[in-house]
Amino acid sequence: MEDVSGATLVADVDRAETLYREQVDARRVSADRMFAVLMIAQWVFAIVLAILVSPYAWAGKTREFHPHLFAAIFMGAGIAVLPVLLSVYLPGRTVTRHVIVASQMLWSALFIHLTGGRIETHFHVFGSLAFVAFYLDWPVLMTATVVVALDHLVRGLVYPESVYGITNPEWWRFLEHAGWVAFEDVVLVWLCLIGLREMKSIAFRQAEVESLKEREEAKSAALEMVLRELQPSLVEGAQA
Amino acid sequence: MTTSQRGMLVVAAVVWIAAIGCGFTFLMKYSVEPGTPASAPEVWPRESQVPAPRGHYLLVMTLHPQCPCSRASVAELNNLMALLRNDNVKGEVLVVKPAEFPDEWTRTESVKSAERIPGMDVRLDVDGVESGRLGAATSGQVLLYSPDGRLLFAGGITPDRGHLGDSPGRQRILSLVKTGTADAKDSLVFGCSLGAKICPPRPKPAGL
Repeated sequence: MEDVSGATLVADVDRAETLYREQVDARRVSADRMFAVLMIAQWVFAIVLAILVSPYAWAGKTREFHPHLFAAIFMGAGIAVLPVLLSVYLPGRTVTRHVIVASQMLWSALFIHLTGGRIETHFHVFGSLAFVAFYLDWPVLMTATVVVALDHLVRGLVYPESVYGITNPEWWRFLEHAGWVAFEDVVLVWLCLIGLREMKSIAFRQAEVESLKEREEAKSAALEMVLRELQPSLVEGAQA
Repeated sequence: MTTSQRGMLVVAAVVWIAAIGCGFTFLMKYSVEPGTPASAPEVWPRESQVPAPRGHYLLVMTLHPQCPCSRASVAELNNLMALLRNDNVKGEVLVVKPAEFPDEWTRTESVKSAERIPGMDVRLDVDGVESGRLGAATSGQVLLYSPDGRLLFAGGITPDRGHLGDSPGRQRILSLVKTGTADAKDSLVFGCSLGAKICPPRPKPAGL
């Protein structure tokens, strides 16, 4: 009685693929929104930090706003504006994800510079990578890694204190930092692949459940129809 | 996405990258821009109220109490004094204060940190009179005088503005005290202007 025809199986696979794509897209749109909020939160944090740590630069008796405060306000806004706009107008797009991730790594660069290359601030990079993994899209981790490595390479050559806090690092120091990022990447790429596989598995199960439900409803309808057809003869038989 | 939308996105991305690049360049320039170098007297000025070096090295730092960049200078001074603990070095920090400002204006973290450095005397320098005598114009300026009162070194001890870490200034002071020689007698100094009146005006020393 059970319908196991090829047509039904193809329909299930198509439905599963549709469900899978919907779930992945929803996840990525939601991650875009999360990053938009994070961008604004980091901007506010940078301004508050600048106000608390170094609001003014002094020259004798006179004071003026510290350049770090301007950097927090204007560079922070600059770093945040494009990803926030993209997350609003083009959510879920591949380009949006890559711009957001590049921007997040630029936030790390700004914080590292503003704190004088403090090694503790480098943890922002690793925290950000964990956030990036929310996308379940391993190529964006590669974008993040390239931005971090380039930032460390260029600033390490031009102005090493701003990124390492020391004046004379080895030229290859950026590879050491990038290596630790790659180390985390391995785990996160694996996590992304597992996450996608699990989402696919869930989508297939949901498609199966939907398909079974449809079949059960069809069977119930057919049974009811047969019962309705049989009902008059059953009544007659009972009267006789 | 249409072709025109794609084009707009590319333009926006290029402008975005250029603007951020300009921002970082500005920040880097600010960080490596040195303050006015000292024109320190070659021998300890007799008129100074700070006790002259007599049989010991004297390391003097001028400090603007509100200068955020000078927190790093004070932290480096702490490191330097620790490295010179057994080398007959006394330290003085001159905290510059305009006469019309209250003393509370000087009670900043930089000054408190300086007071915690072993072997360091911290004194108020009202209107920067002492700093002026020593030719110091920038917060974080360090001067090293020999036990017989001769100027050995004048410069900063941070690698750049507000950043901790090893620096040419630190290396030269260590070398001068421990070996009597160094590759140079000055270094760039990074910090806020003291606003002190340099008295008497002296020619600027040769740069690095």
